[in-house]
Amino acid sequence: MREFFHRKLERNAIGFVLAIIGVSAIGGFVEIAPLFTIHETVEKAPDMRVYTPLELAGRNIYIREGCYACHSQMIRTLRDEVERYGPYSLAVESKYDHPMLWGSKRTGPDLARLGGKYSDAWHVAHLYNPRDVVPQSVMPKYGWLLRNELKTEDLGRHLAAQRTVGVPYTDAQIANASADAYGQASPDSPYAAGVTERYGEATNMRAFDGEPGRLTEMDAVVAYLQVLGRLTDAAQKQAAAAEK
Amino acid sequence: MIAALTIAERQRAISVSALLALCGLAMAIVGRDDLFGVHGVIVLLFGLGCIGLVMSNYFAPEPSEERLTRYYDDPTKVGIVLSLGWAVVGMFFGVWVAALLAWPDLTFDAAWASFGRIRPIHTSGVIFGFGGNALIATSFHVLQRTTRARLPDQFSPWFVLIGYNLFCVLAATGYLMGITQSKEYAEPEWYADLWLVIVWVTYFLLYIRTLQRRKEPHIYVANWYYMAFILVVAVLHIVNNLAVPVSFGEAKSYSLFSGVQDAMTQWWYGHNAVAFFLTSGFLGMMYYYLPKRAGRPIYSYRLSIISFWGITFMYMWAGSHHLHYTALPQWVQTLGMTFSVVLLVPSWASAGNALATLNGAWGKVRDDATLRFMMVAAVFYGLSTFEGSFMAIRAVNSLSHYTDWTVGHVHAGALGWVAMITFGSLYALVPWMWKVERMYSPKLIEVHFWLALSGTVIYVFAMWNSGIIQGLMWRTYNDSGTLAYSFIDSVVAMHPYYIARTVGGLLFLLGAIVASYNVWMTIRMSRAQAVGAAGDGDLPALQGAALQAGE
Amino acid sequence: MDVDHHALVGFAKSWGLFYLVAMAIGVLIYALWPANRKRFDRAKTSIFDKDDRPGD
Repeated sequence: MREFFHRKLERNAIGFVLAIIGVSAIGGFVEIAPLFTIHETVEKAPDMRVYTPLELAGRNIYIREGCYACHSQMIRTLRDEVERYGPYSLAVESKYDHPMLWGSKRTGPDLARLGGKYSDAWHVAHLYNPRDVVPQSVMPKYGWLLRNELKTEDLGRHLAAQRTVGVPYTDAQIANASADAYGQASPDSPYAAGVTERYGEATNMRAFDGEPGRLTEMDAVVAYLQVLGRLTDAAQKQAAAAEK
Repeated sequence: MIAALTIAERQRAISVSALLALCGLAMAIVGRDDLFGVHGVIVLLFGLGCIGLVMSNYFAPEPSEERLTRYYDDPTKVGIVLSLGWAVVGMFFGVWVAALLAWPDLTFDAAWASFGRIRPIHTSGVIFGFGGNALIATSFHVLQRTTRARLPDQFSPWFVLIGYNLFCVLAATGYLMGITQSKEYAEPEWYADLWLVIVWVTYFLLYIRTLQRRKEPHIYVANWYYMAFILVVAVLHIVNNLAVPVSFGEAKSYSLFSGVQDAMTQWWYGHNAVAFFLTSGFLGMMYYYLPKRAGRPIYSYRLSIISFWGITFMYMWAGSHHLHYTALPQWVQTLGMTFSVVLLVPSWASAGNALATLNGAWGKVRDDATLRFMMVAAVFYGLSTFEGSFMAIRAVNSLSHYTDWTVGHVHAGALGWVAMITFGSLYALVPWMWKVERMYSPKLIEVHFWLALSGTVIYVFAMWNSGIIQGLMWRTYNDSGTLAYSFIDSVVAMHPYYIARTVGGLLFLLGAIVASYNVWMTIRMSRAQAVGAAGDGDLPALQGAALQAGE
Repeated sequence: MDVDHHALVGFAKSWGLFYLVAMAIGVLIYALWPANRKRFDRAKTSIFDKDDRPGD
C-alpha cells in the first residue's frame, strides 16, 4: 500500500514536491515553533531599556562594517568564558536585537559585556588604528568613522521600523530621534535633557569621539560599544544570586 | 544565442528587461538620498544591458522548428562560463581576506576595501556565484537528459540564470557599500531578497513543467536532489529574510525576529543552506555526472533513495548545534546534536555509494583527472560530514565553536566537496555542451587537480591546527587557577597558520584560473571546428522525432 | 485556543519522534520492496541511453 503510494507520488511531480516540503519543512517547524512561546520561560528583566537613537545608529554601523564576522556577542555557559568575559549571556538580553548579533566566530574577543571596560578615548584610538593600542592586533582600521558625519535625519524612521517589529519605542522617542542622537553626544547642549528624560538617567552622555559639537559615525559606534551588556543587569543579578 | 530565440521570445525578453529597467529607474528616484538609489541605477543599467543584448541580434532570422528536436543548452553554456567567472572573483576575494588576517594593513584606507565588507563578497561569490550558477547550469542539463524532454520554453531559463546573476551582483556591490542584513549567508537586503523569490519561483516552475513533460516514467534520483535544493532553499530564504524595511526608499531593514528566535531561525537557515544548497544540489550533480563519467551505473539506487529522504528529513533538525551552550533552551540544543550525529548515516551512505560505484574502475580514476576530481569530492564529503557530526557533539563543540576549526570544517566541505565535484562535473560537461571530443588540455586538468588538492589540504590542516590551538589556549588555566593566556596571545599564535591558509587558498585560486583558461580554450577549439566542419557532422542523423504540442 | 510553551515542547518532542519513525519505515519499505527492484535497475542504467535529442 505504502509502496503504491510512493509510486503515485513519483509519477506525479507535484505530489513529489509536496512530499519534499512535508518531510523537510515540518522538521524545521516543529523545532522552531516552541521558540515563539519562549517568552513564557525567559527570565524577566523589567529594568531593560531600549537602544538610544545614537546607539542604534552605532549598531547599524557595526553591522555595516561586518564586525559580527569576527566578534561574537554571546558568552556561553562555560567556566573559562565567564571568567574571561563576564556572566554568561541570557536570552532576555538580546530581546530587542533585530537582528541578533550573537556571531559565530572569535577572530577577536567576545563583545557581549564590552560596555564600560575601556575608556571612550581608548575605543576611538583603537578603531582609528588598532595597532596603535594593541601592537599585535589584526583588526582592520576604521579611520573613516572619524571622518564621516553621522546621518541622523532618518533615525525617526528607523525607530518606527523597530517599533513595527516589536521594540517598545514611544511616540516621543520616535519624534525626537534625531535631536536625541545629537543630544547624547553633546551633553552641554539643550538637546541633552530630553535624552535622559526619555532613556533614563543611566544613559551615557558624552562626546564619545572626543569632539563635542561634531556628531560623527565614531560617536555612534563608541556609544554602542559602551552600552553592550548594559541594557539590563539581569545577568549580573543572576550571577550574584548563583554565588550565594 | 539570441538567434535561437523566437521573435515572440525576443519580444518577451525585451519587455521583461524594460520592466526591470523601469523598476531600477523607480528605485533610483525614490532612493536618491540613500544607497538604495545606487542599486536602482545598477538595476536600470542591467535592464538596459539586457535590452541591448537582445536588440543586437533582434532581426536575425527566426529559428526553424528543427530546434525542438534538440535539447536547449544555451543557458547551460552561459551558466558554466558565469560560474567560472564568479569562482575566480570569489576566490580572489577569499585569498585577499585570508591575507588580511596575516597582514592586516594589506588594503586601502577606504571603507569598501576593509575586511568586514569584502569577506561577504568571498562567501557569497563562491557559494552563490560559483556554486549557484554551476547548480543552475547543470540542473538544466541533467533535467533535460534524464526526463528526455526539452525545456518547455526558451525564455524562462534565461530569466532564471540572468535574474539570479542580478541578485549576485546586487549582493556583491551592496557589501562594498555596506548594505548587509548581517545574517550570515543571507546578507543581501530586502529588495534583493524579493527579487530572488521571483527568480526562484520561475526556476521551480520551470523544473516542474519540464518534469511533467517527461518521457521517462521514473524521475531519476539526481532530480530529487535538485528539487529538494530548489524547494527547501525557497522556504529557508523566505522565512529567514522576513524583515521590515525602514522605508520603501531605503536599503536598510530590520529583521522580524529578535534575539533567541532570530538566532534559531538564522542557524536553521544557515545550516540548511549547507544542507540544501551545498549538499543536496551537489549530490544531484554527483549522482548524474559521476556514473556518466565512470561509465558505470550508481552502485545502489536503493541506497540513494534512502539517503535522500534521510538527508531531507534530518538536516532540518540539526541547525541548533550552532548554538550549544548559548541562551537557546537546552532541549533544542540536544535535539540538534542528536540529529546531527544521526545524519552521519545518510551522509556516509551517499559517499559510500559514490565510491562503491567507482569500485572496479580504479584504473579510470588513476588515468582520468576529471573522474579523480569526483572521487576526491566523495572522499571529502565523507570526511567533512563525519567532522560535522563530531563537532555537533556538545563537548567537542565547546572547544571548536568560535574558532578556526569551524572555518577549516567549512572549507573541507566547500573546497574538498563542493568545488571538487563542481570542477569534475564541469570538465565532463563542457566537451558535451560544446560538442568537442575532450577538453582543450587534459594536462591542465591534471595540473588543476593537484593545485586544488594541495590547496585544500594545506588550508584545512592549517585551520585544524589553529582552531584547536585557539580553543585550547582560551581554556587553559595556570596552576594558580587563573586563565593562562590573554586573548591577544591566541591571536599571535595564529599568525603562521594564517599565512599557510593564504597559501592554500592561493593554490586553489590558481587552480580555478587554470580551469577557466582550459574551458575558454575548449570553447575556442569548438568554434574553430565548427567553422571547419560543414553542418552537424558529429550528430546522428535526424530520426524524424515527432514535434510535441506546444513546442 | 491557548497553547503554552510546555505543550508545544511536548508536541515537538513526541510527534517529532513519531514522525521520524513513520518516515523511516515508509522509506525503507519503498526502497526495499521487491517489486520495485526492476524499476530501480532500469532507472540506474537509464542515464546511459542515447541522449542526443529529446525523446530518444
